[in-house]
Amino acid sequence: MTDHAISLTDVELRRQHFQLGPIHLKVPRGYVTAIVGPNGSGKSSTFRLILDLLKPDNGDIMLLGESIASEEDWQTKGKVGYLPEMFSQHDDKVKASFKTDFVKKWYPNWDVNRYQELLRLFEVDDGIKLGRMSKGMRRKYELALVLSHHPELLLLDEPSSGLDPLAWRTMIDVLHRYMEPGDRTILMASHIIEEVKRLADYIVFMIHGRVLGVYEKDELFGSWHAFYMQGDRKIAETMPGQCGIEQAGGGMLRVITRQAPEAEAWCEKEAITISHRQALQLDDILAVLVEQERTRLRS
Amino acid sequence: MWLPIHINEQSAEPLYYQIEVQLRALIVSGQLEEGTLLPSIRELAQLLKCSVITVRRVYQDLENEGLLRTKQGTGTYVARIEQNAMDRFRLDSVIEGIESAIDAGKLVQCTKEELMKLFQEILERKYRG
Repeated sequence: MTDHAISLTDVELRRQHFQLGPIHLKVPRGYVTAIVGPNGSGKSSTFRLILDLLKPDNGDIMLLGESIASEEDWQTKGKVGYLPEMFSQHDDKVKASFKTDFVKKWYPNWDVNRYQELLRLFEVDDGIKLGRMSKGMRRKYELALVLSHHPELLLLDEPSSGLDPLAWRTMIDVLHRYMEPGDRTILMASHIIEEVKRLADYIVFMIHGRVLGVYEKDELFGSWHAFYMQGDRKIAETMPGQCGIEQAGGGMLRVITRQAPEAEAWCEKEAITISHRQALQLDDILAVLVEQERTRLRS
Repeated sequence: MWLPIHINEQSAEPLYYQIEVQLRALIVSGQLEEGTLLPSIRELAQLLKCSVITVRRVYQDLENEGLLRTKQGTGTYVARIEQNAMDRFRLDSVIEGIESAIDAGKLVQCTKEELMKLFQEILERKYRG
């Protein structure tokens, strides 16, 4: 048994206007991993590659210990639940229960009680035609559908889009409970900062088709801090992990570091007083990384 | 199960350390009695909005100190604690609190004397009557 639910090695997808990869990504089993990145950075394509809905031009993809290129991969896929970002319109004309009857045939582990319980929890009526459901209702129905065969792995592409705050809370709670047995895995893409904070154990930054690393969430937030300090810009530039300096008024500098503990020790050594410190939020960190990536592409 | 643990995101202290100090204090002060079943790792992570990696580390550290014990398949419990261990840990969270108060003072350039005076004043006020 590997301890990775998903692993991508050297995966490349070349299109006329976009290149994805080469991607190296290992998603640890038993944890929630969130992919974070701007629009068009290749998050949804990565999901489609993992599910063999897109064929890569290069590289290997392993899913729950099996290569997805092998012939008999349907059994592996039976252990996966996938919630796409958008749903096709071709089943708009049918009732939700009709879709359920069709889908459940493919899953030997289908659990009708689990399905009913989730519909009740999300307050969804599956007697309604899919096309007549509101965006949030549709989302909740599809979420119930992908959870009802007790998948080992959940792939969630923007799971909360369209959900109201109460439904969102229910979803977070359902996903935490789903993870409780300890051997299950979630890979999700999300723009919602609070969602990533509440759910993720690991965070993956993906920008312009590149994976910029996998970070343990608390370590990430503990490392990216902004220090407010008096002093010389030239000296501040040599701070460990320095990722940007700006004037904060009153002769004060705001220095961003991605190595807060080292930077703090450095300040002490240099006899610099830190007047104030601020933990960076996920969007602040993303903004710095995007800017660095742009600079890299230009040079 | 709810636990009165507060996270300071702006703190220089690592998250696992903040949680560890507070959970240890709850145990050695007797607020969590011997045999109490603690939340599962995932539950506590949800409660504190941190990763399961952090909570696992806290439980592991406190188990190594003999404050917690894990029963396979059932969960993590508060262990029986010897009196001398209680005495040893009892003041840790207090020291922690005083240290952060002094840091706050140093930030606004308080002198030692000023801090001492403040400490005395607050001490008198809190213990009055």
